[in-house]
Amino acid sequence: MTVSLVSVLFVSIALVAVGGFVAAWRRELTASLASVPLMLGGAAIAFVGVARFAAATGPALFGQAVAALLAVSALALVALGIGIAGREGPR
Amino acid sequence: MDSLHAIGFYLSATLALGGALLVAFLQARPQRGLALAVVGLGLAGIDLSLSAGYAGAVVLVCYAVIALLVANPQYRSVASGVGERWRQVGAVGAAALLVALAYAAFRGDFVQATFNGGAFGAAAVGRELFGHDAMSSEAVGGLVLVALVGATAIWRRREGNR
Repeated sequence: MTVSLVSVLFVSIALVAVGGFVAAWRRELTASLASVPLMLGGAAIAFVGVARFAAATGPALFGQAVAALLAVSALALVALGIGIAGREGPR
Repeated sequence: MDSLHAIGFYLSATLALGGALLVAFLQARPQRGLALAVVGLGLAGIDLSLSAGYAGAVVLVCYAVIALLVANPQYRSVASGVGERWRQVGAVGAAALLVALAYAAFRGDFVQATFNGGAFGAAAVGRELFGHDAMSSEAVGGLVLVALVGATAIWRRREGNR
C-alpha cells in the first residue's frame, strides 16, 4: 500500500468539493461558514502533498508553512463571519 | 513512504472526508461542530502521515477552536439571499464534481505524478501562478472582482430599500 501525489490531490479536491457542496446546500449563511475550513483544509493538503513529494528537489517546509497559514486563516474567517452574524437576543 | 504511514494516511483521509460529509448533512449545531472537530483530526493525521507534524499540530488547535465556534448555539441565524434554484444548481454541481472524481479514481488506477517545477517554494508557486498560469490567475482575479462588486451593489440596494 503506497501513497502518491495523485491520491493526496484526490483527497484534497474531494474536500474542496464537499466544502463547495456545503456552501451551496445550506440555507443558513452561518451554517455555510462551515464550508470555509473544509475548502481551505483541502487546499492545505494539496500544498503539503506537493511539498512532501517534491522534497527530493528542495525543502518540504513551504507546504507546512502554507498549511499552517491556511488553518489560521480558516479560523479567522469563521470567527469574523460569526462575529458579523452576532448573538441572539435584543441588540 | 512505508505502509504504516500509508495506512495512517488512508485512515485519516476517511476520517476527514466522513467528517466533511457529516458537516454537510447534520442539522444541529453541536453535532456540526463535533463533525468539524473530526475533520480537523483527519487533516492533522494526513499532515502527520505526510511528515508535516508542525502543520498538523496547528491544524488540530485551529479546527478545535473552529468546532467550538460553529457549535455555539448563541449566534444568530442569517438566512441566505440566494434563491432555491441556484442553491440546488450549486449543490448538484459540487455533487457532480465528487462523482467525477470518484469515477476518475476508480478508472485511473492512481497513476504516479511528480511536481516538475524544481524546488517547491514561494518562488516556484509565483512562477506557476504569474508565469505558466498567468492567464488563469488573471481570470480568477477578474471573477473575484466582479463577485465582490456585485455583492456590494446588491447589499447597497437592499440597505437603500430598508
